[in-house]
Amino acid sequence: MRGTRFKNYLAGPLTAIALSVSLTTLILIFLGERPAILWEAFSSTFFNGFGLGYTLYYTTPLIFTGLSVAMCFHAGLFNIGSEGQLHLGAIGIVITSSFFPKLPMYFAIPLALIASMICGGLWGFIAGFLKAKRGSHEVIVTILLNFIGITFTNYLILYPFKNTSVQNPETIEIGQGYAVPLLSDYTAKLGSELFRTTPVNLTLFLSLFASFLCYLFLFHTPRGYELRALGQNPSASKFNGISQTANFIIAFTFAGALSGLVGVNEVMGYHHKLIEGFSPQYGFTGIAVALMARNNPIGVIFSALLFGAIHNGAREIEFLSEHVTKEISIVMESLIIIIIAGQSYFSRFLNRSRGENFR
Amino acid sequence: MMELFSSSLRLATPLIFAALGGFLCERSGIATICLEGVLLTSAWTAATVTYYTQNPYFGAAAAMVIGTLTMLIHAFLTVKTKADQIISGVAVNLLAAGTTPILTKLIFGSPTNTKAIPLNARFDSLSLTLVACALPFVIHFVVYRTGWGLRLLAAGDGPEALKTSGVSPERVRIGSMAIAGSIIALGGVYLSIAHASQFTRDMTAGRGFIALTALIFGKWRPLPAFVTCLLFGFTDALQIQLQSSPMFGNTFPVQALQILPYVVTLFVLVGFIGSARPPMAIGKQD
Repeated sequence: MRGTRFKNYLAGPLTAIALSVSLTTLILIFLGERPAILWEAFSSTFFNGFGLGYTLYYTTPLIFTGLSVAMCFHAGLFNIGSEGQLHLGAIGIVITSSFFPKLPMYFAIPLALIASMICGGLWGFIAGFLKAKRGSHEVIVTILLNFIGITFTNYLILYPFKNTSVQNPETIEIGQGYAVPLLSDYTAKLGSELFRTTPVNLTLFLSLFASFLCYLFLFHTPRGYELRALGQNPSASKFNGISQTANFIIAFTFAGALSGLVGVNEVMGYHHKLIEGFSPQYGFTGIAVALMARNNPIGVIFSALLFGAIHNGAREIEFLSEHVTKEISIVMESLIIIIIAGQSYFSRFLNRSRGENFR
Repeated sequence: MMELFSSSLRLATPLIFAALGGFLCERSGIATICLEGVLLTSAWTAATVTYYTQNPYFGAAAAMVIGTLTMLIHAFLTVKTKADQIISGVAVNLLAAGTTPILTKLIFGSPTNTKAIPLNARFDSLSLTLVACALPFVIHFVVYRTGWGLRLLAAGDGPEALKTSGVSPERVRIGSMAIAGSIIALGGVYLSIAHASQFTRDMTAGRGFIALTALIFGKWRPLPAFVTCLLFGFTDALQIQLQSSPMFGNTFPVQALQILPYVVTLFVLVGFIGSARPPMAIGKQD
C-alpha cells in the first residue's frame, strides 16, 4: 500500500527532478561552466538566512498560482489565466488603498485581502462563466483575458495611479497600514539575523494556510468531491446530477481569487506600490508547480518551494558565472514540464523494455 | 495616410506567417499555443546565422530549419507521447524564452541582443510582405482543393474516419506541423533580419499570441485570418502613430487600442458576433 502511494505521488516528480538536474548539468558543461556551480547555487538558496529568505519570498506567489492552476485541473479545466488574475488582484489592492489610505493595519490588511481576492476572482469568474454558459474554450478565453488584464494594469499604472514624481512606471505608494510585516522584523526582535534584508513576509503563512484550506475543500467537502468527480469523469457526474455550470464557475472563481492573493505578497509585502511587470511570469510557473505536485494542494507547497529555489538559484548562478544567465531557470522549468507531460510515454517505454507491459 | 497603410502592412507581416502556421497545426487537430516560441527561436537563428555568413538567405534557411525543429518538439510531445497539447505548448514557449538569451550570451557576450547586421546583409522586407500577402491564397487552395489538404482537415475534424480510410492521422499531423514550423519561421526571419537588424531578448513581444487570436477571430480559416492580421496590424500602427503624434502626446491612453483586438476576439469567441467553432478533434488525446 505504501509502495503504491510512493509510486503515485513521489516517483514521477522525483524522476523529473533527477532528469532535469542531469540535463541542466549537461547544458552548463556545454556553456563552458563548472557543473559544481549548480550545487553552489542550490546550497546558497537554502543554507543561509539571506538566500533562504529570497527562496521563501519567491515560493509564496508560486504557492498561490500553483493552487490556482491545481484547483482548475481538479475540475478538468486548464487555467492558463493565472497571470492575468494576479494582475487584477494587485489592482484591487491599489484601488482599495487609494480609497482608504489612512486605514489602520487591522482593518486595512483584511480589506485589501478581500479586495485582491474579489478582483482576481472576478477575472476567474469571467472565464468560468463563459466556459460553463457559452462553451467557449477556457484556454483561449484565459489567454485573451491575460492580455486584457495586463494591459489594463499597465494603463492604471501609467495614468490614474501614476507616481508622477518618478520616471519609472509605478504607482503611488500604498497606505502605511497596508504593509504586511516582514519576517525579518520578528527575527530581529528575537535578536536573530535570519532573513535580514530579505522581502519574505507574513504572506508566506497565508499561502500555507490557503494550501490547507484548498486541501480541506477539495478532499473533505461535498462541493470539492463534485468538482473532482466532474474532472475525473464528466459524463458520469452529469448523470449523478452534478452541475457542470456551477462547478466550472466555482472552480474558476476560486482559482482567480487564489491568484489574486499574489498581489498581497508583491504589493503589500515588499514593493508597497504596483510596478509595471512585477510578475516574472508567476502564473505560467504555477502550471509547472501544479503539474509537479500532481495537483495535490499540500504537494503544491513543496513543489513551489522547489521552483522558488530554482528561480532564486538562477539569479545566484548569474551572479557567480561569467557564461550563464538567469534564464537557465526557465530552461530547467520547461525541461521539468516536458518530462512530466511526456511521463506516461516515457514510463511505458521503460516498462516495455522491462517486459512489464501487461499490468 | 500612406505611411499608416504601409506601416500596418509591415506590422501585419509576422502575424500573417504565424497565423497561417497556426492554421495548419490547429486544423490538423493539435492545439498550438507555441507560435510565440517558434517565432522566437527562428528569429534568433536568422539573426545569428546572417551575422556570421553575411547572407540573409542562409539566415532564412537556417531559421526555417530551426523553426521546423521547434515545432517538431511540440509534435513529438503531443502526437507521440500524447502529452497534453496546451502543456506541451507552454513548455515549448518556455524553452524558447529560456534558450535564446542563454545562447545569445554564449555567442555574443550579452544576453540582451545579437550584434547588428549591416544594411546590405538584411532581408528585403518588401519581398517578405508580398509573400505574406500571397501565401494565404496558396494555403487556401492547397488545404481546400488538394488531397493532402483534405486529409489535413479530416485529421482535425474526424480522425476516426481518416483512420478507417487507411491514412494515419498522426502522420498527417506531424507533416502539417513540420510545414507550419517553416512558415512561422518566416515571421521570425521578418522580425529579426528584415524589420530589425538584430535579435533582441523577447523581441516577439506576444506576437505569437496575437496571431493565434487572429486565427480564432478568423474562425480557423486562412483568408479571414489573413484579413484579421491586417486589421490587427492597422490598430498597432494607429496606436504607434497616436503615441508619437504631438496632438495627443502622452494624454491618449494607447492601452485602449492595444486591448481592442483581444476584447473583440473575446466577443467573437463567446458567440456574440457570429460563432467560432474550433476543429472537433483539437485537444483530444486518442
